[in-house]
Amino acid sequence: MIEKEDAVISEEEAAQYDRQIRLWGLDAQKRLRGSRVLLVGLGGLGAEVAKNLILAGVKALTLLDHEQVSEESCRAQFLVPVTAQGQNRAQASLERAQNLNPMVEVHADTNRVEDKPDDFFLQFDTTSTFCSLKDALEVDWTSEKAKAGLKKTPVDYFLLHVMLKFRTDKGRDPDPQSFAEDSQLLRQIRDDVLEALSVSGDLLNDDFISYCFSEMSPVCAVMGGVLGQEVVKALSQRDAPHRNFFFFDARKGNGIVDYFGPN
Amino acid sequence: MVHLVGSLRKELVDSLSTCKVLVVGAGGIGCELLKNLVLTGFKNIEVIDLDTIDVSNLNRQFLFQKKHVGKSKAQVAKDSALQFCPTANITAYHDSVMNPDYNVEFFRKFMLVMNALDNRAARNHVNRMCLAADIPLIESGTAGYLGQVAVIKKGMTECYECQPKPTQKTFPGCTIRNTPSEPIHCIVWAKYLFNQLFGEEDADQEVSPDTADPEAAWNPEETAARATASEKDGDIKRVSTKEWARSTGYDAVKLFNKLFKDDIMYLLTMDKLWKKRKAPTPLDWQQLEDSVCPEEQTAGSGLKDQQVLGVWGYCQLFRHSVETLRSQLQEKGEGAELVWDKDDTPAMDFVTAAANLRMHIFSMNMKSRFDVKSMAGNIIPASPTTNAIIAGLIVLEGLKILSGELESCRTIFLNKCPSLRKKLLVPCILDPPRPNCYVCASKPEVTVKLDVHKTTVLSLQDRILKERFGMVAPDVQIEDGKGTILISSEEGETEANNNKFLADFGIRNGSRLQSDDFLQDYTLLINVLHTEELERDVEFEVVGEAPDKAPPPQAKQEEVNSITNGNKDSAQPSTSSKASANDDDDIMIVDSDEEEGASSGSAGASSGVKRKHSDTETGETSSKRPRTGISSATETTADEDDDDIIALD
Repeated sequence: MIEKEDAVISEEEAAQYDRQIRLWGLDAQKRLRGSRVLLVGLGGLGAEVAKNLILAGVKALTLLDHEQVSEESCRAQFLVPVTAQGQNRAQASLERAQNLNPMVEVHADTNRVEDKPDDFFLQFDTTSTFCSLKDALEVDWTSEKAKAGLKKTPVDYFLLHVMLKFRTDKGRDPDPQSFAEDSQLLRQIRDDVLEALSVSGDLLNDDFISYCFSEMSPVCAVMGGVLGQEVVKALSQRDAPHRNFFFFDARKGNGIVDYFGPN
Repeated sequence: MVHLVGSLRKELVDSLSTCKVLVVGAGGIGCELLKNLVLTGFKNIEVIDLDTIDVSNLNRQFLFQKKHVGKSKAQVAKDSALQFCPTANITAYHDSVMNPDYNVEFFRKFMLVMNALDNRAARNHVNRMCLAADIPLIESGTAGYLGQVAVIKKGMTECYECQPKPTQKTFPGCTIRNTPSEPIHCIVWAKYLFNQLFGEEDADQEVSPDTADPEAAWNPEETAARATASEKDGDIKRVSTKEWARSTGYDAVKLFNKLFKDDIMYLLTMDKLWKKRKAPTPLDWQQLEDSVCPEEQTAGSGLKDQQVLGVWGYCQLFRHSVETLRSQLQEKGEGAELVWDKDDTPAMDFVTAAANLRMHIFSMNMKSRFDVKSMAGNIIPASPTTNAIIAGLIVLEGLKILSGELESCRTIFLNKCPSLRKKLLVPCILDPPRPNCYVCASKPEVTVKLDVHKTTVLSLQDRILKERFGMVAPDVQIEDGKGTILISSEEGETEANNNKFLADFGIRNGSRLQSDDFLQDYTLLINVLHTEELERDVEFEVVGEAPDKAPPPQAKQEEVNSITNGNKDSAQPSTSSKASANDDDDIMIVDSDEEEGASSGSAGASSGVKRKHSDTETGETSSKRPRTGISSATETTADEDDDDIIALD
C-alpha cells in the first residue's frame, strides 16, 4: 500500500524535485514519495533503474541480488566500485546508490528472490501486470491472424524466447568465457524455438549471437530509462503505461512498444 | 570468429581507448553521457561547462550531490565519473565553449564532439567549429518526456543551422508598456523594471507608458504631436528610471505609487486605448494598507510557492524585495548593477510581486511564484529518465561513427507515447546539407531588409551578426571597392563607428557586406535591401524567412510541447549574447500528440512544423505543415526558440 501522503512536502524536497514537479505535478511527486519499491537484480540494467528511481524520490528502494560482483559487472554497472569484486552485488552497490539521494531509504538484500516468502513482497507497492510473462510468450503463431501480424512483430520478441530458453536450460546467461560453446547452443536453441513456434528460421539470423554475451552501458541506459519511467508512471498513477513489451534495437534505433498476451 | 570484448568488436574497443572525444555541457544530458562513455570504454574525454551546480540540478544530474552545490559542474562531473573508471583520462574545463581559446585547432584534436547544451547560441557556435574542423558532431536535446538525437557531418548531413529556426517571439513595446493582456506581458514588464531599477538599463526595455503608441492617437497627427511632446517634456522625463529611483532612496512606497498609481493614471488619459479594452485600475498604497484585514493563514498542502497571495501580500513582497535589492546594490558600491537570476530569491520575489500587481491592475488573475518563475525563468521541466535515454542513444550513434558506419547514423526522436507504428523511439534518415544554408554552403549569403538611415553599426553587430547570425566576434568589410572596415573584432578599433548609421558609410540598397568570424572560420556575405517599411518594433528582416504570424485556425487540434532551444535569463525578446548559462537541459522541439499536464507552468503551446522525413523502415514521408505562431501563454519572453518539429510517422 502506498503510504498515506504527508500533507506537506518539505522545502528541501521542493527545491530538489522542482524540475520534475513542474513536469508531473505535486500530487504525483507525493505518491512517489510514499512508495516502497523492490528491485531484483543489480546488473547494468538494474543499476540504471535504481538510479532513476532514487533520483525520482521514492520513499524506499530495496536492492535484491544474490549474485557476486564479477569482472563483467564493471562494464555496465556504475554503482559497484571497481575494487568490489567478489562481494555481493546488492551490498556493493549500496553506498553509491544511497549517495544519489539521501532522502530515499536504500536497502540491500543478498538473498535469492525464489527463496523469499510470499509475504515479503507485501511490503512493496505492487505494479499491476496485464498478464504473466509466460502467457505473453505463448502466442499461437499458426493462426492466420498471428501470421499476418508476424511481419510487424519485432524480431527481438523471438530473441527473447531464445534467451529465456537458454537461461532455463543452463541456469545462467551466455558467458564470454565459454563463447564458442554457448554460441553453438544459442544457434541450436534458435532453430528449435523458431520451429516450435512454426515460424521461419530466417527470422533471426546468426548476427544475434554476438549481442547475447553482455550488457552494454548505453543500451542499459536506454532500457533503464524507459523502464524507470514506467515504474514512475505506475507509482504516481499518472499517464498510461506502455502495453506491454518494449523492444529496443540499438543498431537501428527503433524502440517499439508491442502487445503480447491473451487476446 | 569475431573477437569480442563485452559486446563490441576488439578493433572498436581499441579505437575507443585511443580516440579523444569532447562533451560540451555537464548538465542533465552531460552527466548521463559521461557515465555512458566511461563505462563503454572511452578512455580520453574532455568536458566543458561554464556553470556551477544548483540544488535544482540534483533531481537528474546524478554526478552531483548536495555537498557540491556551488562548485564547477565540469570539475565535479569529472571527479565523479573517474570513480566509475579510474583509468580514464578526463580533462575538465570550467569555461565557456565560445571562448576563443577553443579554436579550430582545439576542435581538431577530437574524433567526435557531443553537445549536451541548453542554448542556441552555443549550439550554433559549436556547429560552426565542427564544420570548420570537419569533425562529426552529435547534437541532442530533451524537454520533459521528449528528446532528440542527431548526427551532423560536414558535407554529408544537414548542419545544425541548415533549417531556419523560428526566431524568438517578441512582444511589441506598447503591449508591454501600455496594454498588457496576458500574464506573460506583465512578467516581461517586471523583468524590464528590474533591469531599469537595479541592473543594466536598456533602451529597449522601457517600462513607462509609451506616449507614442499609435493606438492611443485619434489621428495620425496626434501621434506625432505626442511623440514630440514626450521628447520635449522637461527634464523629469529625461531622467532615467534608475536615477529617479536613486533620488528617492529606492523608497518602496514611492516606487509603488509611481509605477502602480501615477503611471496607470497616465495611461487612463490615453482614452482611445480603453475604448474597447477594460481599463486598468490604479492602486494606492495607503488605501490598500488601510483596508487590510487579517487573513486566515491557510496551511495549504501544497508548496508555499504554489500559493497565490492577495494584493496586499504582493505589496509587502514588493516592499521587502526592493529593500533587499537596495541593500545588495549598496553593498556592491558605486555604479553597481545587479543581474537578474531566477534562483536569486529577492530578484525572483521582485518580479513575482511587480508582475502580479500589474496583472491585478489589468484585471488578470494573479499567479503563484511557482508559475511566475516558470515563465520568467524559461524553466523547462525535466525528469531523470529522458536524459538517460537520450544519452544512451548518443553513445550508440557515436559507436557507429567510430566504426566508420556513418550511413547507418540516424536522427532519433523520443516520444512520450508510441506512434501509430508502435514506435516510442523513431529513427529517421539524416537529410543531406541544404544547398542554400547560410552556414554550411560553400559561399554563404543572405539578404537582409533594413533601413540604412535608422540602423546603427552597433545594431548590425549585436542584433544582426551576433544574435541573429550567431557570430561571436565579427569583422565586417564593405564591398565598396575600397574594402572599408565597418566593424573590427579587435576591441576599441571601430568603437567610434558604433552609433553611426549604415547610411553614413555610403551603405544603401544593394550594398554588400562581407562579415567574418575568424574563430568560427565563417564568412557570410550580406546583401542589404533598404526599406522604410518595416513593422513597428521590427528592426530588420532576413529575406526568405516568414516573420512570426498568428497561427491560422487548424482543423486538427494538436498540442505540442513548447520547448526552447535557449534558456538565457535575459528579459530581452532576442537571445542575449551575454553568457548566462542557466540550468535546465538541452531541448529541441519535437512534435507530440500529448498534452503536458503538470502543475501549470508547462502547458503545451501550439506550434508546429513538420518536415519531410523518412521513417527508416517504411520510407514514408510526411508533408510540410505551415509554420504556425507560438502561443504566448506559457512562452516566456526571451530566448524561447522553437526548433522544427519533426514528422513522426
